[in-house]
Amino acid sequence: MNGVERPPGNPILRLEDVRKEFNGHVAADGVSLDVAAGQVVAIIGPSGSGKSTLLRCVNLLEVPDSGRITVDGQPTDAGGRVSTRDLMNLRRRVGMVFQSFNLFPHLTVLRNISLPQERVLGRTRADADARSMALLEQVGLAAKARAHPLRCSGGQQQRVAIARALALDPKIMLFDEPTSALDPELGLEVLSVMRELANEGMTMIVVTHEIHFAVDVADHLIVMADGRIIEQGGPKSVVNDPRVPRTRTFLSAIRDR
Amino acid sequence: MQTSLSTSLLNDWSDWLPRLLDGLVVSLQVTGLSLLFGFAAGLVFALLSSSASPVVRWPSLLLVEIGRGMPSLVMLQIVYFGLPGVGVTLDTFPASVLALSLTTASYTSEIIRAGLRAVPAGEREAADALGMSRADAIRFIIVPQGLRIALPTLMGFAILVLQISALAFSLGLPELLSQAYSIGASTFRYLDVLVLAGLLYLAITIPASWLVGRFEGRLATNR
Amino acid sequence: MDHVGPILAAAPVTLGVTAAIFVVGALLGVVLVTGRRSGNRVIRSTARTAIDVLRGLPPIVFLFIVFFGIGSGAIRLSPIEAAVIGLGLITAAHMAEIYRGSLLAVGPGQFEASQALGLSRTTTYLRVIGPQAIRVAVPSMITWAISLLKDSALVSTIGVAEIMSVTNQDARSSGSSLTPFVIAAIVYIALGTPLAFLSRFLERRLSLSVRS
Repeated sequence: MNGVERPPGNPILRLEDVRKEFNGHVAADGVSLDVAAGQVVAIIGPSGSGKSTLLRCVNLLEVPDSGRITVDGQPTDAGGRVSTRDLMNLRRRVGMVFQSFNLFPHLTVLRNISLPQERVLGRTRADADARSMALLEQVGLAAKARAHPLRCSGGQQQRVAIARALALDPKIMLFDEPTSALDPELGLEVLSVMRELANEGMTMIVVTHEIHFAVDVADHLIVMADGRIIEQGGPKSVVNDPRVPRTRTFLSAIRDR
Repeated sequence: MQTSLSTSLLNDWSDWLPRLLDGLVVSLQVTGLSLLFGFAAGLVFALLSSSASPVVRWPSLLLVEIGRGMPSLVMLQIVYFGLPGVGVTLDTFPASVLALSLTTASYTSEIIRAGLRAVPAGEREAADALGMSRADAIRFIIVPQGLRIALPTLMGFAILVLQISALAFSLGLPELLSQAYSIGASTFRYLDVLVLAGLLYLAITIPASWLVGRFEGRLATNR
Repeated sequence: MDHVGPILAAAPVTLGVTAAIFVVGALLGVVLVTGRRSGNRVIRSTARTAIDVLRGLPPIVFLFIVFFGIGSGAIRLSPIEAAVIGLGLITAAHMAEIYRGSLLAVGPGQFEASQALGLSRTTTYLRVIGPQAIRVAVPSMITWAISLLKDSALVSTIGVAEIMSVTNQDARSSGSSLTPFVIAAIVYIALGTPLAFLSRFLERRLSLSVRS
């Protein structure tokens, strides 16, 4: 799939003029974005550019001050007024993977994945566990089902976190710097799981520092700075031939690391 | 009546020991029941005090502050001497349990609340992101972990409650101190009998504190 | 309401007794913690035992031992003297633990750095470790002071004329049994609140952790 600025047909995610401020600091400054079903969008940019904030607005972990977000045809207007039912529905359809994994340490790996299925989707324990095991197989961690998260490496924990999010059959998967807290080696395991997921056609939005991943896997690359999208397009063209000077400076700083 | 053949201290101690042990049993009973009711009520107040709704939160915090701000002795005396003034008359044992339960509830509410706050914010976010309801997040994620975190402090407090139970002596409850004092009053051997009573208390509190210390260490390495 | 008058009049006694106990305890605590950290095995275990015993006994039991046990034998102690000695020693034990914890919190790195710089032991403790340890210790010390204020009610049982004993007298002499106790409770809470605020204020001011 080629990256195009405005994909044809109905986008599975549409952000319109989303704005979010924290104590006078503008984290997202009227950002608009469309994402088509099956697209993999990577967002890069310097720290404080608002990438994470934008991502967290999609599943309303941050409530935008203004603007509109439409997920799979369901709009949610900003200003903090969202009904609990709409909120739950939204989060059912959008899965999130965090930089610090955020697994539940007092539960086994299996239970981490099954509990949300039981409580959120109402699946029986047997069904939930079956699905959990299938997902663990997929990410290569079936052997760790009965272990506790803290006994697993960072890379393993993150893969469990991905399985946990996938267990709810979301339409969109959000990744907030999924490998930033991992050693490069462990990060590779996670990236390969993400690559597979992309190949299977999952709609993904990934905030990352991994330019290689963005270039290899993403259909569309967005560069953010100071709360705004300063450049976007096909990953290869943006990275090899950035049009905006700020993008250039940012990319060279990353390369020098 | 049995007459002691020798006046050595150990003989006296063995004479007094049965009565003191009876008193110790009462102390332990009062402590145990107060911990039971107090911890349960403490958990409830901890959740109420953490509520998002100010209407629920403020009265709960106020009650907890009052419970913590009052000396335990005052609490005991209010329940036993004061309540009859409004028509509630309790016997020494129930009064002691009620008063100590209220004190325990107030302190444990704060201890548990701190434990709940200490649960990493990332886990709440993950629960939210997964679409779990507030109630489910609290029940399955926050409370189990909050309690684990609070456990060492709660155990330390339990030991404290045994010490506080000695104050029920002022209500006339026949617990350990009360027994020791009355033996002292009749024999005038206050020092000897009080030291024995003290040793009985220490026989429980010192090993218990040591166990809590060990447990705390194990908890730290497991995380 | 003539309940409030006598009870309030006893408040200074409560405050005074608490302050005296605290000062005695804070000073003796230094002695105890020094013993606890001593190189000498005998001194160390004696201090440790003393601390464990003083913290393990119910305060009222120790108070009775001091007053009825020791203080009515060869040595005669007045109720206030017994209160200050008894609760003062218990405070010393708790202070010793607080000091010990705060010294541990300062971290061995500071001590090593001082040694590497060639600072004398005295200078190290006085200028490097001490000030940092105090910052950690103060909130806990204030928390203990608040507890002490409430525990001071104990001394009514050996006859010190402070808030609790006045309240008891009042309840017995007047008809109403609930009111004097409620007033006493309010007075204790009111006395403790400024200390609680002080503690929170100091905790924020003294915190050396990196602001996130």
